[in-house]
Amino acid sequence: MKSKNIKYIGLVILALVMVLVVVFTRAKPEKKEPVYLDGYLGGEKIGIFEDDEIAKILLDKYGVVFDYQKAGSYDMIVADHTNRNYLFPASQAPLELYKKTYQKTPKSEIIYNTPLVIYSRPLVVKALVQKGVVSQKSGVYYVDMNQLTQLMLDGLTWADIGVPELYGSIVVDTTDPSASNSGNMFAALLANIINGGQPVTAANVDEVAVKLKKIYDKLGYMQTSSADMFSQFLKIGVGANPMIAGYENQLLEFAVSNPDTWNALKNEIIILYPTPTVWSTHVYIALDKAGEAGIEALLDSEVQRLSWTHHGFRTGANASQETGQFNVNGVAKEVTSVTQLPDDAVMEQLIEKIK
Amino acid sequence: MRKVILVIMACFFLSSCGPTSNFSGNDNPPAEADFVAGKGDVLRIVSGSENEELEPIIEEYAQKNRVQIQVDYLGSLEIMNLLSQETIDYDAVWPASSIWINMGDVSHRLKHTQSISTTPVVFGIRESKAKELGLMRDDVMIEDIAQLIEAGQLSFAMTSATQSNSGASAYLAFLTALSGSGEVLTTEALEQPALQAQISNLLSGVNRSSGSSNWLVDLFLKSHYDAMVNYEALIISANKQFVAQGDEPLALIYVKDAISIADSPLAFIDKGDSSDKEKIFLSFQAYLLSKDTQNKIEQTGRRDAYGNIDPANEKVFAEWGIDTKMVLSPITLPKAETIRLALNLYQTTFKKPALTLYCLDFSGSMSGEGNDQMMKGLEQLLIAENAREHFLQGTTNDVSYFIPFDSDVLSIYQANGNDAELEQAYERLRAESPGGGTDVYAAILEALKRLDGYELANYTPAIVLLTDGRSMQDNEDEVVRQYQAMNLDVPIFSIMYGDADPAQLEALADLTNARVFDGRKDLTDAFKKVKGYN
Repeated sequence: MKSKNIKYIGLVILALVMVLVVVFTRAKPEKKEPVYLDGYLGGEKIGIFEDDEIAKILLDKYGVVFDYQKAGSYDMIVADHTNRNYLFPASQAPLELYKKTYQKTPKSEIIYNTPLVIYSRPLVVKALVQKGVVSQKSGVYYVDMNQLTQLMLDGLTWADIGVPELYGSIVVDTTDPSASNSGNMFAALLANIINGGQPVTAANVDEVAVKLKKIYDKLGYMQTSSADMFSQFLKIGVGANPMIAGYENQLLEFAVSNPDTWNALKNEIIILYPTPTVWSTHVYIALDKAGEAGIEALLDSEVQRLSWTHHGFRTGANASQETGQFNVNGVAKEVTSVTQLPDDAVMEQLIEKIK
Repeated sequence: MRKVILVIMACFFLSSCGPTSNFSGNDNPPAEADFVAGKGDVLRIVSGSENEELEPIIEEYAQKNRVQIQVDYLGSLEIMNLLSQETIDYDAVWPASSIWINMGDVSHRLKHTQSISTTPVVFGIRESKAKELGLMRDDVMIEDIAQLIEAGQLSFAMTSATQSNSGASAYLAFLTALSGSGEVLTTEALEQPALQAQISNLLSGVNRSSGSSNWLVDLFLKSHYDAMVNYEALIISANKQFVAQGDEPLALIYVKDAISIADSPLAFIDKGDSSDKEKIFLSFQAYLLSKDTQNKIEQTGRRDAYGNIDPANEKVFAEWGIDTKMVLSPITLPKAETIRLALNLYQTTFKKPALTLYCLDFSGSMSGEGNDQMMKGLEQLLIAENAREHFLQGTTNDVSYFIPFDSDVLSIYQANGNDAELEQAYERLRAESPGGGTDVYAAILEALKRLDGYELANYTPAIVLLTDGRSMQDNEDEVVRQYQAMNLDVPIFSIMYGDADPAQLEALADLTNARVFDGRKDLTDAFKKVKGYN
C-alpha cells in the first residue's frame, strides 16, 4: 500500500516535471531577451506605461519593456541623459529644443494627439454660462477664449462674476510654462488671443508679453507636471483651483481607471473645450539605437486603440472618434477650432518675459 | 533517462528556490526607526509627524501582508531637504503637503505620488475664549486675528514655519492674506515695510513654538494654553481627548482669507533598481486609498483624498464649529523663490527672537565620543553657514547663553545675534575639556538666574540641556522651587545621551511643558530637532 502510494506520487512528480520541462524548453528559445528602455516621460502618459495590457503587447510582439522617470517636457531636454534611451514630451517644441541644444537630429515620431482643455466645476461654469463666456452645443461645453482672456486682463475677481464663495482673481491655473508643456501651450494660446487671434510674431512679442505677464503674475507657485496639477484639481477642490488647463486625455483616463471614484465625482467635474484650442502632439524621441525600437512598438494599432479607450489619447488630430465608452459627459467627437502655436524662438522669448 | 530528469529537477528546484531564499535572507535587518510594523520585506518611509495617528492602520497592513514598514518622522521641510540630497535612505516620502515634494524633488526621482487624505490648517481656540472674542462666525479674516493680538487678547501656539508644514502653511497664508485680498504673495510685497510690520505683529502672538504638529497636541493635553494653529484633523483628535479628560475643547476657526490645505502625498523614491520595493509600495498605497482604509482614515478626522466625507463619518466632523460644507478657498502658493525668501525672513527677521540657554555636560564620561558628537551637533547650530542650510539660523536679536557644567557650573558666556558671537562661543566650547561629576540642576539654576531681567514675552525662551549621566540630585528640589516661584513658562528641552537617566529628564520636561529628545541614536540630529522648537 505504502510503496504503491509512493510510486504514484513519484509518477505524478515525474509527469509534472516533464510538463514543466516542455513548457520551459519551448518557451525559452523562441523568446529574445527583452529590451529594457529607460527614459523621461511626460507625467500625463504614465498611465500608458503602467498599463498591463499595453505592456504585454509591447513585450510579446516587440520585446520591449519600458521604464521611466517622470519629467516636464522642457525639463527632460536639459536633464541628464546618461543611460536613457528615450524622451517622450508632450509636443513638438521640446524636440526642436533638443535639436538646437545638442546639434543632433534624433529619430522621432508623433505617437499621440490630445487637445488642450479647461477643467472646472459647476459653481464656476454656471457663472461663466450666465456671463456668456461658456456655451453648450450638443452637450459639449465650449469656452470663448476671447471673453475669458478679457476677464483676466480686466483683473476681475470671482466675486465680480457672481461667485462670492471663491476668493481672489479669475485665473486659469496651469503648470509652469517654462518647465511643462501644458502650461507652455496654454500661455501660447493666451498670447495668440491677446494678439487678436493671430500667432504672436517676433514683431509683436513685447507688446503681447506685457499683457500676458499681468495674468501670469497672479499664478504664484506652478507645478511642473500636468499629472500632479490635474490630481490636485480633483483633490483639493474648487476653492484651490476653480479652473485649470490640462489635456483632454487626463479626465478620460481617470474615468476609465478609477470608475468608482469617478462615479462619485462625475457631477462635480466639467470639461470645457476652448475656442480656439491647441493640439498637444506627443512626440517620442529616441536617444540611441535601442530607443528606436520604442517607436514601432508604440505605433502598433492595438497599442494605439488601447491608448484611446483606456487613456484617452487621440491617435490622429483630424479624425472623429467614438466617445460614448468613457462615461464622461460632454466629450467632443472632434476638435476643429484650432490655432497655430507661435514659432519656438518667439515662444522662448515670451516665456522668458513672463517669468 | 532518470538521471536526466533528476538533473533537470535539481536545476528547476535550485533556480526556483534561489531568489526566494535570497529575499528571506535579507529580511529584517535590525530595525531602527521611529515606528516599525510587521515582519518581512522592508519598506522604509520618511513621514510628517501628523501621520503618527495612522499607525494602527499601517500596522494592520503590515501584519496582513507580511511586510515590514519602517517609518521615521521628520518635519516636512526637512523631508524637502532630504530629497535634494544625492542618496536617500528611504523608499518613500510622505510629507504633509505636495509643495515640499515639488520644491525638493529637483532630480525627478519621485513616482506614483498620490494624496492620501486632506485636512485644512485652522485655528483651534478654547470654546469659551472664542465666544468671548467674537470668533464663532464664518467670516473671520486675518485682520480680526491681528487686532486681537495687538490688543493683547489672544496668543497662540504654532509649529515653526521653517520646520513643519502646519507652521509653514499658516505663515505663508498669513503673509498672503496680509499682503492683499486674495492675490498671490510676491517677492516685492515681502520687501514692503508695512507688510513686515504686520507679520511681525501677528507672530508676536506666538507663545509656544514646536518642531512638530503632533507634539503641539501633546503640549495642549498636558497644559492650559488657549489657542493653536494646527491641522483640522489633529485638533479633532485633541478635542476627543479633552472631552474624555473633562477639559474644554477647542473651537475650529477657519480664517477665510488665510486657509491652506495639507494634502498628505505619499510618493515612491525611484532608485532605478528596486522593482520589488515598488511593488510593495504600490500595494501599500492601494491599501491606503481603498474604500475601507479611507473610511478608517476619515474616522481620525481627516477628509478623504478627494476632500469629501462619507455620510457615515459625518458625526466625526459634527461639533466644535467644524464646517465641512464651506467652500475652502486656500491661498495660492507663491513662487518657489518667494517661498524660500519668506522662510528665511521668518527665521531671521519676523519671528520672535530666541533666548536660548544651553546647559552642556562636560563631565568625565563625555570625553571622547560624547564630546565629539556634542560638538558636531553644536557645529550645525552655531556655525552660521550650517544653520542656514537647515533654516536654523536665528534672528539678529537672538540671545544665547552657554553654560558648560560638570558637578559645578564651569563658566558662562553670552552670545548675541546669529553669527560671529555664536561662532566664538563654539570655539570656546571646543577648548573646554571634560572631567568630573554631573549636576544638571546646578546648571539649570544658573540658567534660571540668567532669565531674570528679560521681558520673556518678547522672546521664544528655552533651556536646552544635554547630559549623558545620572545627575547628583542635591539641587533638584531647588530647581522646582525656583521655577515655580518665578512663575515661568520656559521649556527645559533635554537631549538624552549615554547613561542619562530618562526619569530625571522627563521630570524636568513635565515641570516645564517640554520634551526629551533621544540623542543616543543621532546626537547631531537631536540638536537640530531641539533648535526647531525654539
